[in-house]
Amino acid sequence: MQPGMLAIATIAIFCAASAGAAHAQTMSAEEARTIEFGKGIFKEKANCQYCHKWDASGDTGYGGIALSLRKTALTREQLTDVVKCGRPLTGMPYHDRLSYTDKRCYGATREELGKDAPPMGEFLSAREIDAVVKYLFAKVIGHGPSTYEDCVDFWGSSTRQCEPMKK
Amino acid sequence: MKSLAFAGALTCSLLAATTLTPVKAADMTQERALSVAKEPQNWLLHHGNYEGHRFSQLKEINTDTVKNLKAVFSVALGGFESGGRYKFGNLEGTPLVENGMMYVTDGWGSVYAIDVSSGKKGLIKWKFDPGVDRPWAGDVACCGVNNRGVALWKDKVISIALDGRMFSLDKATGEMVWERKIADPAIAETITMAPLVVRDVAIIGVAGGEFGVRGWIDATDLNTGKQVWRTYTIPGAGEPGNETWKDGKERWKHGGGSVWETATYDAESDTFYQGIGNAGPDWDPEYRPGDNKWAASVLALSPNDGKIKWGYQYTPNDPYDFDEISEHPLITASVNGQDRKLVVHAARNGFFYALDRTNGSFVAGKQYVDELNWTTGLDPKTGRPLNYNPSSDVQVYSPGSHSSRAKPLSEKLCPSHFGGKNWQPTAYNPELKLLYIPSVEGCNQVETVEQKDLEDQGGPIKFRERFAGGGQKTTQALYGSLKAVDPTTGETKVRLKLDYPNWSGALATAGNLVFIGHADGALTAHDAKTLKEVWSFNVGTGINAPPISYSVNGKQYIAVLAGSRQSPFVQGLAPELKNTSTASMLYVFGL
Repeated sequence: MQPGMLAIATIAIFCAASAGAAHAQTMSAEEARTIEFGKGIFKEKANCQYCHKWDASGDTGYGGIALSLRKTALTREQLTDVVKCGRPLTGMPYHDRLSYTDKRCYGATREELGKDAPPMGEFLSAREIDAVVKYLFAKVIGHGPSTYEDCVDFWGSSTRQCEPMKK
Repeated sequence: MKSLAFAGALTCSLLAATTLTPVKAADMTQERALSVAKEPQNWLLHHGNYEGHRFSQLKEINTDTVKNLKAVFSVALGGFESGGRYKFGNLEGTPLVENGMMYVTDGWGSVYAIDVSSGKKGLIKWKFDPGVDRPWAGDVACCGVNNRGVALWKDKVISIALDGRMFSLDKATGEMVWERKIADPAIAETITMAPLVVRDVAIIGVAGGEFGVRGWIDATDLNTGKQVWRTYTIPGAGEPGNETWKDGKERWKHGGGSVWETATYDAESDTFYQGIGNAGPDWDPEYRPGDNKWAASVLALSPNDGKIKWGYQYTPNDPYDFDEISEHPLITASVNGQDRKLVVHAARNGFFYALDRTNGSFVAGKQYVDELNWTTGLDPKTGRPLNYNPSSDVQVYSPGSHSSRAKPLSEKLCPSHFGGKNWQPTAYNPELKLLYIPSVEGCNQVETVEQKDLEDQGGPIKFRERFAGGGQKTTQALYGSLKAVDPTTGETKVRLKLDYPNWSGALATAGNLVFIGHADGALTAHDAKTLKEVWSFNVGTGINAPPISYSVNGKQYIAVLAGSRQSPFVQGLAPELKNTSTASMLYVFGL
């Protein structure tokens, strides 16, 4: 990463974290519902956690090499585009059913990208994409390493899943 | 009278307290297990017989009559629930059938005893739910929420659950008699395979090769529910084979070599043949210089004490994830005019192997997949990959076929890291002397990420985190094949291209048919000599489980579990399957 980009990324993370903190204090019931809905998309419907791990800290394995979203420098708009369009040349799938049917994603069609086109993921509506992006900015992006409390928030308290994180 | 009743009760309770479970008339015994050919109406063992043939002697359904085969009933099962990384439980189980009762499992380990004796419907007589902590177990399941079936022993059903427990269930009621915790998800150990029962022990192995486990095979005394022995597939310090881990940092302690499909068993020599999984981490072989025994191997072991009689390694220092856990059928046949006792294997690395099962020596090997680029062939004497270099600690097989720390993305790997053939079992027709291999064809890429150590070895990787040393990348659709192979030479006699990679496994019958399931929901029957499709029925959701055959009152049936989640690497590259729904169903077919 170049120094200029690092500065932008740092600002982005700072802003995101600040926005998240500010949000936590003033979040409306509607916003809270949207974030919970977005969590469901991340956890089950689009199954983002299969590759990115439950806390979105990135992973290796059968899902391919998935990046950490906790450390991402992407803006909301960029993240929305990646969810919609996936990432060509990687295993990150696209989730907008119209991606690559025309040039809406990276100015390219499926035919033009050929085998470099990203795989097809679970199709999500604009509302669902908006919710998963809101969830990631509220709970993940810029929040540092996940904690025991984050784990319980994600999985609930009826499982041993978070026990290893208990201090 | 009172004292007599008391004495009787005392005797009964003393009997119950002894370590031997009494045998009843209809009990599953070792004698029956060794003579399943006398009970063609039943499917008593996971692979049909101990030899792993998945062959039914029934022939009411045959090449002439199969055109009249139709669905006769179906039964909705459960096990859909999400857990950990997975949206659904899968169905990969092989049903067992004994005298009109069928025993099947769903992915979360629930056991269903289904009365199929009427031939008109399946009535679930009892269901046992092991109550798995789904996020806890599911988050360390490599590749899905799976359970491949149960075993029968005396008047019990022996089952397992993903979270590492084994259960002894009353066959009549489903009531649990005992449970034993064998594998521990706290260190990423899970169990997915159907137990192999030999005499009074149940043999299972541990899954978790992508999470830094050290693989093992474990035997449980079914009379007591206690451990009899445990043998690690990755040899410990001082044991033969440990010298093939040359890192000097005791990385064999997390060396993989998992075990997740049922072994075959040879009663004559009292030996079972267990396929062993990939070395860990999968895709960073520089982390584990050396041949990494007994990963990517077959082991011949004694069921009495778990001692290793011999081992044969297919892909030393495997950089591909060529996990060789799948079945190793036993075939006795004439090779160059001599009767040979063979153990054979359609390997994930794309070669068919025939070994002498008495000593593990190589007899024959041949490529069975359409495309194979990772090596130039097998040494005709040893079966070793031709470009294996015995003086090198990190193998460099064909350039571009695997990744490395210096070149983290491979160019093209054929067969793909999925195989060849994955766990899905072959079937063998002893009358035609043909082995049917349901395969995955095509290529993909593998990637290397330098693996960091686990926390107990001073590294930052915590237990239950991935320990794969990279990943895989599949950008082009894979396809499948059904191949009829001569098991003495590996020569492919007949081949049939399939639209989708095969994830179901095969059934061969004396009616000269071969049955396989498909990702698009089709169950098809093929002429065993030509492989031409002679019958098909589409259940409307993918089939990832092997079919079986049984009969009731003289009428033959074909049964298969259907509805499993399809791999995103199949669905994501096959737009026509995109909207396939998951289900959880048993389908039964008859004339």
